[in-house]
Order: sequence, then C-alpha cells, then structure tokens
Amino acid sequence: MIAYIIRRLLYTIPIVFGVLLVTFLLFNVIGGDRAAQIAGKSASKETIEEIRHEYGWDKPLFLSWDSQFIDHLEDAITFDFGRSYMDKEPVIDKIKRGILPSLSITLPMFFGTVIISVSISLIVAFFRGTLLDVSVVILCVAGMSLPFLSFILFGQYFLAYKWGFFPVFYWLDLSVFEYAALPVMIGIAAGLGANVRFYRTVMLDELGNDYVRTAFAKGLTTKRILFKHVLKNAMIPILTRVVLAIPFLFLGSLLLERFFGIPGLGYLMVEAIGSRDLKIINAMTYIGAILFVVFNLITDICYSLVDPRVTFE
Amino acid sequence: MNQGLRSCLTNLHIIFIPVLAILSTGGCDKAGVSDSNQMVIYSALSSKVRGLDPADIGDTTSSSVASQIFESLYQYHYLKRPYQLIPQLAESMPQVSDDGLTYRIKIKKGVYFADDECFENGEGRELVAEDFIYSWKRIADINLRSKNWWIFDGRIVGLDEFREYTKTCEDSEDVDYTRRVEGLYAPDKYTLVIKLKKPWHQIKYLLAHLPTAAVAKEAVEYYGKDIINHPVGTGPYKLKTWHRGSYIDLVKNPDFHKEFYPTEGEKGDKAKGLLKDAGKRLPLNERIVMMIVQETPPYWFLFLKGKFDVSGIPKDNFSEAIDQRGTLTEKMEKLGIKLKTFRDPSTYWLGFNMEDEVLGNNKPLRQAISCAVDKRKYIELFTNNRGETAHGFIPPLMKAYNPEIKNFTATNYNPKKAKRLVEEAEKIHGGELPELTLSAPGTDVTSRQRGEFLQRCLNRVGLKVKINYMDWPTFQNKVKSKSAQMFMLGWVGDYPDAENFLQLFYSKNESPGPNNFNYSNPEFDKIYEKARIMRDCPERTKLYRKAEEIVLRDYPAVFIMHGVAYILQHDWLHNYKPHAFGYGLAKYRRVDTGRRQQYEGLFETLK
Repeated sequence: MIAYIIRRLLYTIPIVFGVLLVTFLLFNVIGGDRAAQIAGKSASKETIEEIRHEYGWDKPLFLSWDSQFIDHLEDAITFDFGRSYMDKEPVIDKIKRGILPSLSITLPMFFGTVIISVSISLIVAFFRGTLLDVSVVILCVAGMSLPFLSFILFGQYFLAYKWGFFPVFYWLDLSVFEYAALPVMIGIAAGLGANVRFYRTVMLDELGNDYVRTAFAKGLTTKRILFKHVLKNAMIPILTRVVLAIPFLFLGSLLLERFFGIPGLGYLMVEAIGSRDLKIINAMTYIGAILFVVFNLITDICYSLVDPRVTFE
Repeated sequence: MNQGLRSCLTNLHIIFIPVLAILSTGGCDKAGVSDSNQMVIYSALSSKVRGLDPADIGDTTSSSVASQIFESLYQYHYLKRPYQLIPQLAESMPQVSDDGLTYRIKIKKGVYFADDECFENGEGRELVAEDFIYSWKRIADINLRSKNWWIFDGRIVGLDEFREYTKTCEDSEDVDYTRRVEGLYAPDKYTLVIKLKKPWHQIKYLLAHLPTAAVAKEAVEYYGKDIINHPVGTGPYKLKTWHRGSYIDLVKNPDFHKEFYPTEGEKGDKAKGLLKDAGKRLPLNERIVMMIVQETPPYWFLFLKGKFDVSGIPKDNFSEAIDQRGTLTEKMEKLGIKLKTFRDPSTYWLGFNMEDEVLGNNKPLRQAISCAVDKRKYIELFTNNRGETAHGFIPPLMKAYNPEIKNFTATNYNPKKAKRLVEEAEKIHGGELPELTLSAPGTDVTSRQRGEFLQRCLNRVGLKVKINYMDWPTFQNKVKSKSAQMFMLGWVGDYPDAENFLQLFYSKNESPGPNNFNYSNPEFDKIYEKARIMRDCPERTKLYRKAEEIVLRDYPAVFIMHGVAYILQHDWLHNYKPHAFGYGLAKYRRVDTGRRQQYEGLFETLK
C-alpha cells in the first residue's frame, strides 16, 4: 500500500506541472496586457514599457533559464506566491483570509446535501415506482433544470427581502450562523436534485442485487437491510462523489459569495481571473490541483476500507 | 482613475458612478438598531477596495474610501457650480509666476496627521511642505509601480531624472528620497515650490486629485509594503476596521483641523436646505461604514430596506423607481425617497482605429457608420434614457462645451444618407467592403445586447459587422496594441477642463497611450499644443472648440452619449448635493437618525 501511495504521489508531479503550464499559457499567451492596466489611465507608452520591465514581463515566455515560465514554476515550487498585481497584498494572506468564509458556507452545504440526498434516495429507492418516487424524481429533474442563480434570486428576494426571515446580505455584527444560514439553505436546495437522482440510481442498483432478496427472505428488518447492507455496498460510488467534492469546498462558491457578500475564495478567484492577476490564479490553481490529487488518492485508499475486495496491486 | 472601471461599460456607470461618488446610508436589521442613535453614514461600494495608499490608487472604489482619510492641497467647493477649486491643505490658491512655470503654495499651519503608532509616542505630527515632495517622489519611484505616474510624467523639472535614478535601486527602501529634485523644494516649512518644464495650467486640478495627497514618511517607513493597509492621513476620518472584501469602518478623526461647512452656494441651495449647516465644523457625522456589494439585486434590496441612504438605479429596477414621465413612482414617493439627477463628465463612443487600412483611409465609411447608429434608441434601450445624445466629445458639463455643436449634423442618425455613403466608401475601397470587426468589452448579456444593436444598425445600411466580445483585460490589450478595428469605449473626465478630453486625440498620445483612435491630424496637434499651455480664457475656449470641430470632421468615432446620473436618496440624509468630481464628501453629510428609525416601520407597511 505504501508503494502504491508513493507511486500515486509521484504521478502528482506531471499533473501539477501540466496545470501550471496550462494556467501560464492561458493567461500569458492568450490573455491581455497587464502592464497597461497597472500603468494607469493616461500612461504613456514609455511608462507601460517600464512597468513591463519591472515585472519581468519583457522576458521571454519560455526557452530561457531566465524566462517567465521558469519564474512561474519557481514561485509554485517554493510556495512563494508573491503579492497580488492589483493591490500588492501577499497572495497567501488573501487565501488564508478567504478559507474560513468559504468553508462557513461550503462545509454545511456539503454535509447537508450529502446527508439529506442519501437519506431521500434510500427512501425513494425503496419505494420505487410509487407516487412518492415519481414525485421526487420530477422535483429532482426540475431542480436540476433551474439555474443556480434562480435559487439565489428566489431565496434572496422572498426569504430575505420580502419576508425578512434572513438578512439580505452579510453585515458587520451578524454572526456566522445568521449570515450563512440562507446561502447554505439555497446551496443545499440547489444541490439536492442532481445528488438525489445520482444516489437513487446507486441505491436502485444495490436493491436489485440477490443479497437484498436473500436478506428479506431471511427476515431481516427493512431498516437493517437498507442502512447496514445496502448503504455499505453503495459506499464506493458515494465515496467517489463525496471525497472528490472536498477540494472544491476550499475553492468556495462564487455566486453565493458574491450575492451574499461573503469574502471567500470563490469570489477571490473570479476577481483574479477578471483582472488577470496571475499571482492569485497561479496560487489557487496550484493549491486546487494538489488538493484534487491528494483527495483522489484518499478516495482510492477509502475504497479498500469499505470494500475488502479492493487491493492495491 | 482606472480606465476599466471608469470608462467602458455604460450600464455600470449608470448604477455605480452615483454610488461611488456619493456616500450612502443604511444598515442591516441588527446594525441599524445598534447604530440608531449614532450619526453613521452607511455607504455601498461596487467593488473591493484594492489599497489605501494614495500614490498607488487607480480605481474609483479605493479613491472613494481613501479620500475620507487623506487630503490634497486643493478641493472642489461642495456647493458652487460651475465647479470651483478652493484650498484644502493649502492656505490659499497658488501664486503662479508670469511665465506659468513656477507655483508657490503656502501650506496651512497646524494641520496634523492622525495619531498612529508609526509616529513617536503614537501622536501625529504636523504636516509640512516636505510631505508633498516626499509623496510625489514616491509616485515617481519606479519600484512602487504607481498607477499615477502619468500625472507628473514629463511635467516637473528634475522629477523624470529622479525616476530614472530609482531604476538603479533594487527596492523602494534603497531609494534616497532626500535626493534633490530641482523643480520640487520647500524654502521653508510651510511653503512648497513647484517648477514646471512647460506651462501646465491643469496642475491645479491634479493638486486636488487624491493621488497627490500628503502621505507621512513615518507611516511608509514603518509599514513598508503594508502601507496599503495602514492609511495615515490628515483627513476627517481614520481607519478603524478594514475587513477586506466585506466592509470598511471609518471613524471621525478627533484631531481633524478646522474646516467648516460652506456658507454660500449656488442659487437655490438655500431654498433646498443645503445651507442649514453653514459655518458648522466638519465632519457632520461620527462614522462611515462602507459595505462592498457587487451584485445589483442585494444592493437594491438593501437600499429599499433603508440600509443605504443613497442609491443609483439598477437598469432592471428602473421602472420600479421611475415612471414613464421620468418622475418617481408612487411607491418611491410613499417611501419618502427623493430623486436627484446630474450630468456626469462622460462621453461614450464607438471608436475607429485610424491606422486600420479599411477604416483609416475611408472617410465616407466612417461617416456612414456615424450616420447609421441610432443614438437615441441606444440611450433608451441601454440606459433607460439616462443620457444625452452626444454631438461631440466634450461633455455639456464642461465650460468649453459648445452649444452650437448640435448644428454639426453630418453625423446625425440618417440611414438613407448612410447607405449613400457606403456606396461612396465602396468606390474608394475599390469594391465590396470587407466584414468589419467591432471589439466589445464585456461578455455579459447587456454587452451582447449592445453589440447586437450596433450590428443591426450597421447591417441596415449594408455593412457587414462581426462583434467580438471579450473581458476587459483582453479588450484593453486589443485596443492598446492597435489591433481592434472598431471598439466600444468612453471616457470619464478627471477634472472640469476639456483638455482632459482633447488629449485623447493628440497624436503623441497614440496607443498604448490614451489616444486609442490613433488619430493624427497636424492641425489638431498644433491647436492642442497651443491651447494646453494657456490659462483659462475665452481664447482658449475658442481653441478647444475649434480642435473639437477638427476631430468631428475626421470622424474618428461615433460619439454616442454623455452620461446623466440618477440618484435616489432617503429623506433622512441632509446636505446631499451631487458632485461630478468630488471625493471625500461624506464630511458634509448629516443624518436624521429619528427619521431613519421610523423608516423601518414605513417600509414594512408599504412593501
């Protein structure tokens, strides 16, 4: 198992290198000229050139030891993400500050969505073909068809503005429970459709197996069959979906953060893309890639824990 | 100001320029209750604050915050119109030598920086003339990579050489700021002398510009690169909390120097109650809380709930606020909301790259495009009529605006004439015209609708057009690298002198400079070079107008509209008067906290 883990960790190197290369290409070869933005509204050609030189943007992109790509790699390897181009604040400070606000909504959303959708899917899978099942499937398809933004606008307008159940927006002296409640609820509601459908399919596959019929024939209770046997055997697809979603929790939720004024990492990333702040983009994609690879590995290890048939060969 | 924020998207200008220019009021349920007896101004910011170091501020949001903390030598009179400069940290208006090259400015005595740990014993020290010299040298320091070097570039004797010297230093910390700059010195503690390379009468406006504000050397040295987070100024407020990405909380500076509410204004100000606080010491409130709200639905909801005092009107909520007659709807009136409108110093256009082979050599084609665009319809569709049709590029707000410009009918909307001109253009081109390309900033729905509208206008007169939608940095790159054939852009004036608009057509300012049209006309250049060094006089105004006419006859752009801002204001906010160039105006505002408290009940009844 250790050899497997080491091998998988070594695979991380080309993956992360690829991510760094793609990010660099996207924002240097295709993207706009940051020097003109930084130099200001009425800057002369000379001033723009000076800025370009100061930031090292007049160096060759590749094919030189003193190239922009080598600088880019060096920053990533040394975890020295430098300062943001737009406001000169250390990138690492921005990321540290954004993690908690992001997690304050993504974590409860994540657990809420998983628990509620797995529970609903177990129930509707058991009552397959009944009015309940059909109604839930219809609702799920409807939920999946609606854009996420619609959930936000509906929730913010009715639940916050019109009926006043929640604050419309983050405010100075609101506790995390107060300002995060509505975005979390919206996030869960919006995520239920796709998740319930997925888990329902997984559960139905399991319920159709011989061991379930055998268990019923032996007189086991429905509760015991569903929660001890069916749920355990359905764990592999559930694990895959759940563990691989964890890295995205750290990257935050762009729309919810913007509409509810939560200064998280999703918000940060989109602003950075909009302003071509490669320092932030580089740091976020790099961290995101590492998290993704690590959690992928964790998923594989978890397979062996829930299913003894899985071995690391 | 950052061109991206201030110059491109008309829909953004409609919503946010009023909000940025004017501090607004509000509070969420809980905050509203806890602050109900405090004179607090609540303000909405449309984007994140990037930093609070005046030398490096290049966006309107950061300016609107920093201008409450820092002060410049001059400021605009709050009430008088046309806009008029008055001393802020200067004791009087500058003494200018006869040749217009030397400015002698007396600094007010007894002005102190706010208390901060960067000073000995934590007590702010007195402001002196050297503080301005130091602050401006910082802008020149290449290591700081200031967004504001354009202000001084090629202007002050010896400052360009100082910039060259800073290129030899590794970091700002290695720069010797005591190094002499010939054109910047302080003969005594309270006198500042500026020597210019050539006359530059617009300098007075730039001396009222936030980037030229005084920064304390102690603060820069103490906080180093983190100076962006630690503003230490002489202004009416000081920073209490900056929760990056969420809000900024400013409190009254107890050591703020004596400044008083104006005792006179323009005609009608007294009747409007704008002189009720005449002579009172500023600031008139104790605290400012600025919330960052980037999306329009929550911004609008917060305003209607009484959380913000002042608001622009989002495009999608326009009919909720303004009826077909252009007045407030019944709902708004019942809520006690008032409407104020004012011209902002902006012009928006569809620009041509004059170096483009197809457009640059074909005047009838450029005129045809000008006649093909239905400006009135454009204003109606995309701004809810919050704009004036542009006939030239100098906005009506400017003193040099030529009322006769309306008689320049060569570019009036006229599809028939445009079709004829297209035929003429084809003859010049030597056959069918190729498909034209219009670069549009923004990839959102409104940008696309705007692009489609212009495409339809041009198709109607027989021109084929492809629209390329792109984000702002890509768009800027395209324009600055002269690779955009046609582009949608605009300009918001920095000061009330039309020179700020004329420079956009000066051949030496071609891209990547501010002349994005790459327009070049020796006749225009000659007039511009003559006018820009003249003092404000009728002759200069004539030259400005003549220069504008020269540009118009060459059709380097379709000048579409000048912005008109619509502001909604709750009735508990007093002394609110729109200002096109003003920052740092929160000090004049007063809040009737009792009215604010009553509003919550009124809103619940009426919603």
